[in-house]
Amino acid sequence: MDAIRTTNLVKKYGQKLAVENLSLAVRAGTMFGFLGPNGSGKSTTIGCMTGLLDATSGEIELLGQPFNADNAAIKRRIGVMPETLGLFEPLYAHEFLAFVARMFGLDEATTRKRVTELLAALELTDTSKTLSEYSTGMRKRVAFAAAVIHSPEVLFLDEPFESIDPAGVSLMKQWLRRFTEQGRTVFITSHVLETVERVCQEVAIVTRPGKLVWQGDITALANDGAVVCNGQEFRALEPLFLHLTGERYADLKWL
Amino acid sequence: MNTALIGELIRLRYKLLWAKTRSRNGRIALFLAGYLLLVMLIALLATGGFGAAIIAVRSGKAENIARGTLTVLFLEAVLAANILGFGMSAIFSETELRRYPLTAADRRLARHLTGILDPFWFLFLALQLGLMVGLYVLGAGSFWFGLLAVLLLFAANYLLARVVSLFIDLLMQRKGGGAILMVLIMTLAIGPSAIAPVLEKNPAIVTALVHRLHYTPPFGAAAAILHPGLEGVYGLATIIVWIFGLAALLVWLEKRPPQRQVAESVKIEWDSPFDRVGALFGPQMGPFVGHWLRFYGRNSRTRTLCLISLPLLAFLTFQMGQRMGPHSLLVAALGTIPMATFLGTSRISVNQFGYVGGAFRRYFLLPTDPAATLRAASYAAVTIGGSLLPVALLAWIVLVPYPFDVRMPAMLLCTGLTGLFVLNALGIWVTLFNPRKGNYDSSFGNDLSLGGNILLIGGMLVSLFLPRLIHKFQPALVSPESWWMYLPLPALALAFYLATLKSAGPLFVARREKLLAVVEGRN
Repeated sequence: MDAIRTTNLVKKYGQKLAVENLSLAVRAGTMFGFLGPNGSGKSTTIGCMTGLLDATSGEIELLGQPFNADNAAIKRRIGVMPETLGLFEPLYAHEFLAFVARMFGLDEATTRKRVTELLAALELTDTSKTLSEYSTGMRKRVAFAAAVIHSPEVLFLDEPFESIDPAGVSLMKQWLRRFTEQGRTVFITSHVLETVERVCQEVAIVTRPGKLVWQGDITALANDGAVVCNGQEFRALEPLFLHLTGERYADLKWL
Repeated sequence: MNTALIGELIRLRYKLLWAKTRSRNGRIALFLAGYLLLVMLIALLATGGFGAAIIAVRSGKAENIARGTLTVLFLEAVLAANILGFGMSAIFSETELRRYPLTAADRRLARHLTGILDPFWFLFLALQLGLMVGLYVLGAGSFWFGLLAVLLLFAANYLLARVVSLFIDLLMQRKGGGAILMVLIMTLAIGPSAIAPVLEKNPAIVTALVHRLHYTPPFGAAAAILHPGLEGVYGLATIIVWIFGLAALLVWLEKRPPQRQVAESVKIEWDSPFDRVGALFGPQMGPFVGHWLRFYGRNSRTRTLCLISLPLLAFLTFQMGQRMGPHSLLVAALGTIPMATFLGTSRISVNQFGYVGGAFRRYFLLPTDPAATLRAASYAAVTIGGSLLPVALLAWIVLVPYPFDVRMPAMLLCTGLTGLFVLNALGIWVTLFNPRKGNYDSSFGNDLSLGGNILLIGGMLVSLFLPRLIHKFQPALVSPESWWMYLPLPALALAFYLATLKSAGPLFVARREKLLAVVEGRN
């Protein structure tokens, strides 16, 4: 079964095209990498898939059911860590997590138990600081905790590893692997291609404006194998990414 | 001193102001509110100041009227800056300025120059200049001495407003600071009324008091405008001493490290009053309302406004409640009580999502009807505003020198509830159609949108003057005999509020991308 499926998804901001006819299928139980250069519509796509934004046209299916912004039943089964984190700055971490947990239908006892456990596991035990006083990495951990607190079946993570220290990344990767082993699905965007290469089974690469240029299995890369694309063999994700997106960097002589 | 860089920063401030015209709404707001109104207002105020000068000279009491006018303007500027937040928003914070190669002194100067060059201060400058020019034209004052005095008074006024703001900020950071502030405001509000009879009976005290006032900047400015000789020099020197004193105090206050309100602790507190009150709204809305109550309750500006709204409105009731017959105070309170239910929460009520930033996204990720957040935010504002109503009514019963008449508190309860529901309903519409990104932690500045300002200031003006107007044309309508006519008002207001909640829900969902762009600063 596909956990996520989009068919001809289009998102326009006024006349500006952000996502162009994106058709994507993500198998349940997969760790799926969604890659693309800056401004290629990755976050917009996640926004549409999670109900934050309305797609201009096209269809979205989550867990085998049509999804739109009003579908509360599906929202209860997914977890999202947005790129901007979306934290309520004046709150303390436990207040924020408890709020999210209660809104996702957890009872009070479970809420307290899970909040306490998550804060301890993610080393967020300094309860004297509000979220606005946390470092970027700590804020990211809180956002991650908020995304998983209700044990979602599909997890959307927008740039989850950025700004987190190696120990935190390692812990998150371990959790995500266990998550997918249980048949749940993780949809990740990231610019850290080495990490994606190691944790994801499949990736999709989009280029501006939100146009899918390649989707395929990359498990071979983690086992020192290669991926074939357009008749060329790629032994790492980075050359494949640069080849497909056509990204070039200017050479400034004075720099 | 890096004057070139400071100049660039001031230019940048005006460029940023101009940049707002790049959006359609910004163009309209800036054109209408910014330029036309400002130019008209400056002209009007200058004429008003000029008019005051004419009255001063013709009445033969030029000195007293100049002193009085300048003192009132001086205090009004400080009050307006601190209560409504006008003219206090330096566009660059200390943190922002640290990015540039500026020394600490340069940064301080840049911040305060961008602050004092706010159009708000120009309005007061126009009034003071109008008075000075009027006195000069009518032969009662000196132009150069007057000009210098007004400019110095202007600087002293800004510095005092800043010092008062920082002092309030400092108080609010301390435990029990809110209570101390309230006592101070109550003293300021009720003090003059309380000591007025004493002063009337003892003219010697008044003379001594006026003599002491010679050492204040407005009296110094009046002396310099009217007496270009030695007395004028003495007046200018008085203002300069104040400027140095206030500047030193300002520097000292700014250098103080921020106080932490929360003790270091690793113990998690689960049972908060916010959640307990929120739970009254049922299991579905409870966590949401609790969340919004927390959001309102943690905002220092909301806390300050809630604390000062009652004494301030009590002061206004006593000030406005004169010469309107046997029930003057009732007429005034019919207008001030509704404001008591709205003023405290007004900053967030008219811009519910302007202070949540990117967290706005989260409301749409929650497995609820997205419009529930709009309702929950409004319920929180109504709960906080409504909780002030019994306090206001109790204060009315205790403080007003009327024999107890149950019809009066009943009328006030009705207008209070009406104001609560109508103003909060209008706040929802402003939230949806004229939001603005604001800084939750800022204590200074007026960061409301044009619509928010119109609702807040317009609401205050209507509340204060409508009962007065009614009294003028239909006095029977504002007398206790007409108490029964007020009974349907809360029901009608509640109907309007509920209709607003119902119709605003779908609009909120439809407009969420626009709202998101504004609250994330991408508009």
